[in-house]
Amino acid sequence: MPRVFRWSVLLLFLAITLIPFLWLINASFKSSAELFANPFGLTSSFSLENYFSSFAVHPLHIYFRNSVIVAVLSTLLALTASVLAAYALLHRFRLSRPAFVFLIFGLFLPVNAFIVPIFFIIHSIGLYNTWWGLILVYAGISLPLSFLIIKTYMDTIPRELLEAAHMDGASYHRTFFSVILPMTMPGIVTGAIFLMITAWNELLFASLLTQDETARTVQVGIRFFLTTYSANYPQAFAATVMTIVPTILMYVFLSNRVIAGMTAGALK
Amino acid sequence: MKQKIPAQSESTAPRAMLATVARSEAAHVGYYVRGFPSNVLRSLLALGRGLVASRNLILYLAPAALLTLVFFVFPLVFILYMSLQEWAGLGPSTFIGMKNYEFLWQDDVFHTALANTLSWVFVGIFIHTPLCVLVALILARQPFMWKFFRTVFFFPNVISTTAIAFLWYFVFHVDLGLINNVLKAVGLSGWTRPWLSDPQTALPSIETPFIIYIGFGMVLFLTAISTIPREYYEAAKLDGASDWQQDWHITLPLIRRTIALQCLFVVGYCLKMFEYPFIMTSGGPANTTMNLSLYIYRKMLAANVYGLSMAAGVVTLLVGLVLLAVVFIVLRRFEKE
Repeated sequence: MPRVFRWSVLLLFLAITLIPFLWLINASFKSSAELFANPFGLTSSFSLENYFSSFAVHPLHIYFRNSVIVAVLSTLLALTASVLAAYALLHRFRLSRPAFVFLIFGLFLPVNAFIVPIFFIIHSIGLYNTWWGLILVYAGISLPLSFLIIKTYMDTIPRELLEAAHMDGASYHRTFFSVILPMTMPGIVTGAIFLMITAWNELLFASLLTQDETARTVQVGIRFFLTTYSANYPQAFAATVMTIVPTILMYVFLSNRVIAGMTAGALK
Repeated sequence: MKQKIPAQSESTAPRAMLATVARSEAAHVGYYVRGFPSNVLRSLLALGRGLVASRNLILYLAPAALLTLVFFVFPLVFILYMSLQEWAGLGPSTFIGMKNYEFLWQDDVFHTALANTLSWVFVGIFIHTPLCVLVALILARQPFMWKFFRTVFFFPNVISTTAIAFLWYFVFHVDLGLINNVLKAVGLSGWTRPWLSDPQTALPSIETPFIIYIGFGMVLFLTAISTIPREYYEAAKLDGASDWQQDWHITLPLIRRTIALQCLFVVGYCLKMFEYPFIMTSGGPANTTMNLSLYIYRKMLAANVYGLSMAAGVVTLLVGLVLLAVVFIVLRRFEKE
């Protein structure tokens, strides 16, 4: 491939990826009038007015709180279940192969086909419009992938360690807590990054299972900036920028780990 | 050789014995009839003892197994069964056989939803994936600043699809949109249009952000290419093969499994695709951008016809299975060559 062609492809994709985001950030500082008069010019002032006023229109800070709680706790729950199960499968037993298949078969199912039963499960145990409803659902639907990530990592731990721990008389639990768990930590961090980002970004179940500020997450919240009567676009942009800042920060500081985390399930 | 360790060596001996006993018992089916019920009781006792011996195993597997049961097994059984019922969510349901499926068979909106989902899969496999391969091939030669490009191209994958859909809604906006304004600036005012509310352009427009976000597939391919031994390329170079020929004859055949994997991801992604139609067009204009995900959602929330929603869910599962099989069959064809 000639050089010119290669570089035009790279620069084209660079432009397509970045220009919309730069436009969004620039527009989030404008006033509504300025936006319509001059949608592409550099903003005349970098005032944070829209950022502050967007909190007054919709309770964004509450949506943020809900999103953080749901993302953190669902990640913890999914990881705990995955690590425990992966440790159990580190030992051989008669049904270990079927057990493995049982835990990952959900990978191949499009979960959006399950919205009716999942809605009724959550509703019938009284968790509709609560944090715990979303936490359970996120932990449940992301379990196959998080289990696969952890299991793949745990399988790289040398088996001799398990034997050695056993020789030294460590019990089943002791081996888990003192040997396997510490050694799986890098895998757990990878899984945690992946789970947090997916939970933070989820929309379908968040809009299905929440009703008001009690549990509504930011992804559902920013939609209201557009759908309400007399929408103020720059304000909506400011709100959108704020909702993507947490994942952007994570990416800026940990880009290699994030890339590894998001593709970990696919690469094994 | 991979060495495997038994779950609990202390109890291995009795458990192995129990297993042998259980197997020899099972070999004589007649035994269960003749010695009934004491033999059954004994077998149950043996099973119970086995369970106690493996209580650690059960303890560690329980949380994951429970989540899988509640969020995958139960919903799967539930939608298979309830798609044959008429149910408004409250009160008992009525068995109506295949009526829900017959309705879907005749519903024009469902036809559009199915066709559109297949169109997503089509552009995902035949436009999006080749673009991922192209960029990966370019970056695999590690040009100037290749790590920077890789980081930027992957970046949209960490942003919520909601925000990206929202952003591209404005890229296609009539007055504020980048596209219409660029067209005007270069003197092609005749080409400007309300992209998202014109039935002819709405679907391609909402598919655009998906097509050009190439980062995920690109990283998969870059990882696959990095495992190819350098000697292959050096040998090809000695034979006078150009970069293009090397890519075509060495790299592409060796990453075919990753291409298949990427196609599986595309299928999964497209079957779950909800945000782009939901946020950019709400399925409109006149349902021209409806897809399976949004159809399931609408039938449940707006129309309260739960049986129908679940029947559409079952069709989605079947479409997924068929596409999965197609990808595997095509891959096997290539493996044989």
